[in-house]
Amino acid sequence: MLQKIKNEIVESQIFKSVFRHGYPDNDLDRAYAIFSSVFLHVHPVKVRRSALRMRYTFCLGGITLFLFIVLSVTGIWLMFYYTPYTGLAYRNIKDLQFVIFGGNLMRDLHRFAAHGMVLFVWLHMTRVFLTGAYKAPREFNWIVGVVLLVNTLVLSWTGYLLPWDQLAYWAVTVGAKMASYTPLIGQNGPWGPQLGFLPTNDIMFMLLGGTVVGQNALIRFYVLHCVVLPLVVTVFLAVHFWRIRKDGFSGPL
Amino acid sequence: MTNLSAQTHQSEDGGEGMSPADKGRRKFLVAAGWSVMGASMAGTAFAAYKYLFPPVLYEPPTVFKIGHVSVYGLGVDERWKLKGRFWVVRNMRGIYNMISICRHLGCTPNWFPDQKRFRCPCHGSIYDAHGNVRGGPAPRTLWRGQITRDPLDGELIVNTVIRLDPDPVQTPQGLWVKEKVKEVDPFYITHSAPGGASCASNRLLC
Repeated sequence: MLQKIKNEIVESQIFKSVFRHGYPDNDLDRAYAIFSSVFLHVHPVKVRRSALRMRYTFCLGGITLFLFIVLSVTGIWLMFYYTPYTGLAYRNIKDLQFVIFGGNLMRDLHRFAAHGMVLFVWLHMTRVFLTGAYKAPREFNWIVGVVLLVNTLVLSWTGYLLPWDQLAYWAVTVGAKMASYTPLIGQNGPWGPQLGFLPTNDIMFMLLGGTVVGQNALIRFYVLHCVVLPLVVTVFLAVHFWRIRKDGFSGPL
Repeated sequence: MTNLSAQTHQSEDGGEGMSPADKGRRKFLVAAGWSVMGASMAGTAFAAYKYLFPPVLYEPPTVFKIGHVSVYGLGVDERWKLKGRFWVVRNMRGIYNMISICRHLGCTPNWFPDQKRFRCPCHGSIYDAHGNVRGGPAPRTLWRGQITRDPLDGELIVNTVIRLDPDPVQTPQGLWVKEKVKEVDPFYITHSAPGGASCASNRLLC
């Protein structure tokens, strides 16, 4: 009876259109399982035993990807209760911490995963540097990695402002002030004033949407943090993984 | 069960040549593993479900203290429409309130004192001062909210969440519910008519 029901399901057109291969208990179907799936096809169809050795890569890039996924998921949960408005942002954060079931857990997961992502990007790049994996033909992917590093840091910084507390406000005030010292395009930078840059038209003004950190800066950072930068990171991650498949591993894999 | 068999099937030796004790142990471990997996998935699903129900709301209140009966004259009073989304209606026998939500698709009808009708601007439902449907697509009569007297100072308290919604009857005039059915505790406060009032001014109030 059970066998009959199972056969009915497995033989159905819907099942066959989702699982386009047999049960992966032979080499051919195992290969199909990997490269007929959009999520698995970044993996090689066959992995050598030596590739499973942890101590070459320490899976640092994989951990970074995992943390990015954790950040995306917890970030979406947080967005359900967060309003990027100066009058509400701090209260929303307090509600998440003290009122919403699991809100504090989501906040903490998001925060610690963010710290962890910065840490593991750094460890990953250190490993790549020490094993010489940045050398040709992988120098392109090293640059992609540097772009991802910068995006990770900017994501951290933009996310920093969103709780709209004293720490956030002054940290971003200081960070934005640094932008005003940019040569040529900052109000305080070398040649900036000479080129006519004032607090109302320089690069810091563009970043904050004003001369001080206010409502425009909050919505700007929110959009960057929740939409623009994650999209950029996702695109560069795709290129990063694609290059790994094309160039191969640098180690004895 | 399919998962269990799939797991054993997947293992490299297929369980052949194993002692019955080893097979039992493997079966137990697989079951235990899937149980932990299932429990953690169920816990996550429950937490995700609970997360979506905020225990604190920043919505307008639903309970209003609206003052003594004597504050209100005969007929429909609109003073609470903006703040509380309900009308206070006083007739010769007492006082009640109606929720300002059209029973068609939830817009807010307007009161036209000259016509003695509520008209909904969205799809044209028409109600009379009792909330009976006189025209348009509304499928039921207007809700009446709970109205009680504060035992301490005698002021009226309206609760717009607790609502009276009896089944209407189709009549040539429209969808109808007898006043007898709607003028019941706790949706009606019986009170003597204001001095000098008579049924002649508006027969709907009698």
